[in-house]
Amino acid sequence: MSGMDGIDSQITCTGSSVDKLPHLKGNEVKSYSLPESHGADEILPELNKSSLTNPDILRYSRQLVLPEFGVQGQLNLSKVSVLVIGCGGLGCPVAQYLAASGIGRLGLLDYDVVEMSNLHRQVLHGENRLGMPKSVSIVKTLQKLNSSVIYLPYHMSLNPENGLQIIRQYDIIADCSDNVPTRYLVNDACVLAGKPLVSASALRWEGQLTVYNYQQGPCYRCLFPKPPPSETVTNCADGGVLGIVPGIIGSLQALEVLKIASGMVPSYSGVLLMFDALEGRFRNIKIRGKQNDCAACSNSAETAILQDYEAFCGSSASDKCRMLSLLSRDERLSVEEYKRLLDDHIPHILIDVRPQPEVDICQLPHSIHIPLKGLEQKNEKWISFLRTKIAELINTGNRVEKTVITICKLGNDSQIAVKILQEIFGNEVDLFVVKDVQGGLMAWAEKIDPMFPRY
Amino acid sequence: MTCEVSVLYFAKSSELAGVRSETLTVSQEITSQQLWDQLVHSHPSLCAIRDQVVLAVRQEYVPIGNELLTLNTGDEIAVIPPISGG
Repeated sequence: MSGMDGIDSQITCTGSSVDKLPHLKGNEVKSYSLPESHGADEILPELNKSSLTNPDILRYSRQLVLPEFGVQGQLNLSKVSVLVIGCGGLGCPVAQYLAASGIGRLGLLDYDVVEMSNLHRQVLHGENRLGMPKSVSIVKTLQKLNSSVIYLPYHMSLNPENGLQIIRQYDIIADCSDNVPTRYLVNDACVLAGKPLVSASALRWEGQLTVYNYQQGPCYRCLFPKPPPSETVTNCADGGVLGIVPGIIGSLQALEVLKIASGMVPSYSGVLLMFDALEGRFRNIKIRGKQNDCAACSNSAETAILQDYEAFCGSSASDKCRMLSLLSRDERLSVEEYKRLLDDHIPHILIDVRPQPEVDICQLPHSIHIPLKGLEQKNEKWISFLRTKIAELINTGNRVEKTVITICKLGNDSQIAVKILQEIFGNEVDLFVVKDVQGGLMAWAEKIDPMFPRY
Repeated sequence: MTCEVSVLYFAKSSELAGVRSETLTVSQEITSQQLWDQLVHSHPSLCAIRDQVVLAVRQEYVPIGNELLTLNTGDEIAVIPPISGG
């Protein structure tokens, strides 16, 4: 099991037909044959190491000489298994440093495949991995870093059935996931299985880190008993994230895992670390302790595991953008229909409702820009600008139906914009109709103009 | 007696409040519920996250409720909703 030749036999995939994944490039396909499948319920062998070998001593010498860590810390580390849930912006630094430091076993779990827009922060994948399961890709990289660690990739979504089974197989859980339902599921399973949970998150310019369920410390639900309303949750695609921010928080997360694994005391049990990258400040917030009425901590039965976390949170267990459906079919134009309208020179106004930074990336040249926020706040500047444009449209001599069309990135905000415009111009609707472009600019890029940037 | 505290809004709360920080004049003796109500009065959209927010006074969690706080000028109040990205 040493050296690079052993990689393929160690890479295992669970619960998905990896051979059918799109975009796998030739070389990478050849170098990983479809591995044998590990089940969520499989009993993993005990890690047992009683002494360090000479190669171990050489490799880990710089941390072995630390008095707080030493030989015993290294041996402890080598007997510990860690499950990394999410192989993205946080999972990469967590897995990288744990692998390098000589953790015994690493489970790497992710349902998703590598995309180009991941690479600015998910630094263990790469351009030649596009379309490859992240769990497999991360193991391929880690194997090059430290082949003496046992790696188990799980290409699967975590659900109430498999979640508890897998978590029971590991000593420490690192929550590197990107969505609210998974965070509650992982927490509940950790409380039930009695596992410490090192939990981090990052968005935009901010990161948060806490150790939950460590000894008598609080769990995620003790602090956040109720999930946030789904409309108040922002994902990385919508909100953006600077790649370095999860890099920093994930590195601190790895440090907390390492402290627990080596027998040291973690620093962030009962403490919430907040990193504000814009201001360049770290704050430690002392959080409340374990709550007697906590739904997870006060219930030791397996029924404490909910059956449907997506329903509980009102959102999906992924960070993919949600698809709104606010408008009827005849209030929407497909990109093909909009293209025809353009080709036929039908008078209309196209309102791009995206925020300014996204308009700076790309826009259709004939669109006018009014951010959704301006419409929501009924901002006088934007509304009067719009009124002028609509008056111009109505006064064009042409007798055909006049259309005001909204567009955004994916076709969600544009629907909200239609609703607001209908409200503002309710009594003038006989003069023009308001519609949105289904699928937005990304559908335009996919189906009409392949040269239009995708982001 | 009133005092001037510094309020910091993180993550979603800064988006809802439209500011990242501000100075607020509040009573020195105030319950955490009254403090929260005053924040919501200035920024009504904050009420959407009331049940998820960590309200921290001088970097320590306080439950939003009847807890009586004694505030001094310069104290830092932080409004911290969880973030879930990774």
